Formats: sequence, C-alpha cells, structure tokens
Amino acid sequence: MTARKFYTHLEFILELEPNTIHGTEALQDFEGWDSLSKLSFIAMGDAELDTIVSAEALSGCKTVADLVGLFDGKIAHKE
Amino acid sequence: MNELYIMASFILRNSAIRGIASAVPAATEGLDDLSRVFGKEEAQKIAQTTGVFSRHIARSDQCASDLCFHAALKLLEALDWDKDSIDVIIFVSTTPDYYTPATSCVLQGRLEISKNCAAFDIPLGCSGYIYGLWNAASSIAAGGKRVLLMVGETSSKFASPLDKSTMPLFGDAGTATAIEFEKDREMYFELGTDGNGYKHLIVPAGGFRQRHSAVTANRTIREGGNIRSDEEVFMNGAEIFTFILREVPAVLKKVLASAKWNIEDVDAFVLHQANRFINQFLLKKMKLRPDRVPYSLEEFGNTSSASIPLTISHALRQLMQKEETRLVLCGFGVGLSWGAVALECGPLIMPEIGFV
Repeated sequence: MTARKFYTHLEFILELEPNTIHGTEALQDFEGWDSLSKLSFIAMGDAELDTIVSAEALSGCKTVADLVGLFDGKIAHKE
Repeated sequence: MNELYIMASFILRNSAIRGIASAVPAATEGLDDLSRVFGKEEAQKIAQTTGVFSRHIARSDQCASDLCFHAALKLLEALDWDKDSIDVIIFVSTTPDYYTPATSCVLQGRLEISKNCAAFDIPLGCSGYIYGLWNAASSIAAGGKRVLLMVGETSSKFASPLDKSTMPLFGDAGTATAIEFEKDREMYFELGTDGNGYKHLIVPAGGFRQRHSAVTANRTIREGGNIRSDEEVFMNGAEIFTFILREVPAVLKKVLASAKWNIEDVDAFVLHQANRFINQFLLKKMKLRPDRVPYSLEEFGNTSSASIPLTISHALRQLMQKEETRLVLCGFGVGLSWGAVALECGPLIMPEIGFV
C-alpha cells in the first residue's frame, strides 16, 4: 500500500478532510483518535494490510509515522 | 506447529438439544439514559458503533439465577419433563448469587429437581455457553440422560455507570437449555484458552487475590476519562478486538472442517454478541451471509455468556420451532477463552422470551 492510501484510510477513520495527513502528525492532536477509532484502525489493518497489529504496540504509538511502522514495511515510504 | 493441532477438538456423540428458553429483566435502559451521562452526540456515536440501543437491566434484588430460574421453569413445563428425570444441572455465569455455595445447588432446590442429580457451576463469560454445552454433552457421553444447562448474567451490576467502554454495552439475561440423550447425534467442539490475556477483561478486586476494601471500592478517573473502581469491570477494547481477529476466524474454520460442512451448509452462525462493529467485521471477513448471522444486540446488548441462547430465542424461534437446523455457535472473550460448536438440532421447544 502507498503511504498516501494509508493516510486516506486514516483520514476516513478520524473523519478528517482528504489530504490533511502527511505522516508527521502527533496522534494526540487528532480529536477523533479515541478507543472507537483505534478499533477501526485495527480493523483496517486486518482488512487492507492482512496484519493484526499488536494492541500494546498501537497504544505506544505517538505519531502517524509510528502507525506506519506497525506494518513491517507493507507501506511504501513515498506518498 | 500445524494449524490443525493448535486447538482442543472434541466430537461428542449421542446428545441433542431439545429446547431453549430465555428471560430478561422487564426494566430497560436506552439512548436517553446514555445521553444523560455522556451527552447526546457521544451516546449516538456509541450506539451506532456498538449496535446497542436498549438493554434490559436487573433490579438490585434480581440475580442471574432468578432469570435462569424463570427460563428453566417455562422450559421444563413446555417440554413436560419430569423433574426426577434430570441427571445434571449446570449453571454458567460470572455473576453468581454467592461466593459459596454454588448457584447450581441453590437452583436445584428452588426448581425442586431430584436429589439424584449432579450440580456444578462454570464461572466463564462470553465463551461460557459453548463450555456449558460441552460439559452437558460430556455428561451424557458418560452415561447421563438429561441435562439442564442454565446460563445467565447480570453484567450490568459490575459495569461502572460512568465508564463508556462497558456501561453502554452490557445487558442482563438468563437462559435455560435442555439437552438429552439421542443416539448418533453428534456435536463438534473446538475450544481454546489464552490466559496470558486475562488482564484485558477483568474485575480486578473484590475476589481473593485483591480483597474488597475502601480503596478498591473508590471510583477514580481512568484511561479515556472513564470513571470506575477496581471492583468494576475493565475492558481493553483494542486487546480484545485483536484477540478476536486472531482466534475467532480460525476457530470457525476449524469447527466447519471438523463437521465437514461448508459455510453454505449452515442455517445460522450464532456468534457471541460482542458488539455490532466486531460482529459485522467477522461476518465480512468470513464472507458469511448476513441473513444467516442473527443479532440480539439492538434490544438486549451484550449479555455475555447468555448472548448465544438469547439470540436463538430472539431471532431463530420461528425457524427452529418448525425445522431441523444446522447451527454453528461461537463464544469468545473474558479469560481469554473461546469455543465453537457445530451441531444439528430441532425442531425445538422454544417458549417466548420472558420479561420478569
């Protein structure tokens, strides 16, 4: 998956406008990053990237880049 | 390790379900009650995600055993079973009447069932109905004739009213299932356990590891602004969801393979009613037909161990009163513990859901 596509999924989960995420954002700045959106994120990872992320690793993520890092190279670095 | 050997598989012969009855408290809570605590917008969002719009809530003097008692009386009457003909009583619940004695013993007395009867409790939650059926069928395989399996919960009593990760979800219910010897009927079970995840869904205090105290009873602010005490239930939703993704599709595939059924052969997949988001995700992932995956969440919420028989009473009564059906039942959650069974049954005796 391209990074852009990954960001688009994240924008959808967080109910953000398209093209607002670029990879460096801090998760705590997203109002929508709560327990429900975390479930949606885990579901997206399983459905789109065939990866069940570790919930413990997810809770340690601070930035969008950290989220990308959960998928073990399955997301291309370039947008 | 070969995937075929990672779960405990059992084929139990000569047992058949004869009837299922359910009872719920008459009192309900709904969106208005949620809105008062969490605000209207948040309440709507929670309900849309969980799929829970109403929950039946036990009175302070009403226990899971009271709901099971009501369901059992109706079922035994409808079946016309002589109370002396029951060999085994099983009560499955995480919300028993007392620490001791076992609630199954209390129920034997209340139901006036023969003293020539084994009675025991199984303190499992979301997977409990599958383990209850497994014990019932095992008892019959060992020479028993009739088993009364009662499965019920009043989970609302250990959910903090100020915790939005649990309170909007849990409803209360009691059920009774009658299982009887029938030659050559088979049930295929797959069971699993991962105790390393026990902390992800837990009431940490009030048992014997951490006794009740003024400190454990004190509600404090926790993750996400939720407020609860250590004597109230904690659920790490992300951990539970990843556990479900790891184990539930695998156990469903395994139980289908054991029974030598394809997905199309199954009349209904009755899943533990975790929440709508999770169950819909499983349905899509497993490519199940929506009309074969019944729900009881909207009206009753997540009723823990009771959710599978309650969903059968609620959504499959018309079908199963008339026809023989092929079912796959699957429970998963607190423990962490999970199980699935593939079985054929029916037509069944199914009284209407009681409101008590």
